[in-house]
Amino acid sequence: MKTFEEDKELRQLLKSVKPESPGPGFSARVMNRIFAEQPALEQVKQSPVLGKGFWIILALFAVLFAAVALVSGGGSASEQTPALLQQVNTDAVLTGYRAFFEKIANLPAGIAGIFMGASLLVLLEKFLYSGKHAIS
Amino acid sequence: MENKDDNYYIGKVLEGQTNYFSYIVERYQNIVFSIALKVLRNREDAEEMAQESFVKAYKSLHTFQGKAKFSTWLYRITYNTCISETRKKKQHFASTDEVQISDEAEEMNLDGIPEENREKVVKAALEKLPEDEYTLIVLYYFEDQSVEEISKVTGLTESNTKVKLHRARKKLYTILNEMLKKDLYTIL
Repeated sequence: MKTFEEDKELRQLLKSVKPESPGPGFSARVMNRIFAEQPALEQVKQSPVLGKGFWIILALFAVLFAAVALVSGGGSASEQTPALLQQVNTDAVLTGYRAFFEKIANLPAGIAGIFMGASLLVLLEKFLYSGKHAIS
Repeated sequence: MENKDDNYYIGKVLEGQTNYFSYIVERYQNIVFSIALKVLRNREDAEEMAQESFVKAYKSLHTFQGKAKFSTWLYRITYNTCISETRKKKQHFASTDEVQISDEAEEMNLDGIPEENREKVVKAALEKLPEDEYTLIVLYYFEDQSVEEISKVTGLTESNTKVKLHRARKKLYTILNEMLKKDLYTIL
């Protein structure tokens, strides 16, 4: 009894049968679909994952964040910033870095909630915007 | 049509010359359509899904790494697209498992099929196979794909592919045998 690998006759028989073919102009129809979808594809390829708006909002948050951290500390921002600028050395940077995170840890829960909520809204906006480019 | 290998056309398309994709479509449209037709059992749906398969292949052409044959990659897209479509439509096909496989049928002489009817008879026999077995038979015997390549298309393990191929071949012989017997009775 032959194995399926040895069955040359069946291979020959099946090769003598023409496979089903789609209607005439099939290739043209496929290419038309591809050309029709190409502008959308190019747009998706060209648009950055994170748009300009995202970076502007992120920068504003960073500024706001720094301002809140400095203001909620012992002195005012105008008193602390020049002091930090005068001692630009590694210790000062490390101290500032540590102080920054200590201040973040002391932020009231309400402010943290606002930050989180705003971040979620930015993310949602980004998600909805990208949905416009979705290709079926 | 330029007779270059698939990688040549793929390279051209990836360079931005989209027109070259039509050579790929021309080359594979019949097999892609045959698989789609077998799975969906409707010419309109099959054409729609065959188109969809080529569009999907075009969109993800940049992800084709060339480790496997392009045809294997394309057939996998086609097979998965069509299977997803049947699941979406919740199509249920009558099983053809009622074909009683007989070992004797394997011994039949394929040259005994009258030449003038050969294509019609073989097509009709293939039609009676379930879609998964049809795909295995067409890819193995018609498209000369290896067991490893077929397992990539269908998602079956290689050993499972071998078992199913063995079974599908036997079933095809049984169907051909029964068809020839019926033909003989009709003549007599």
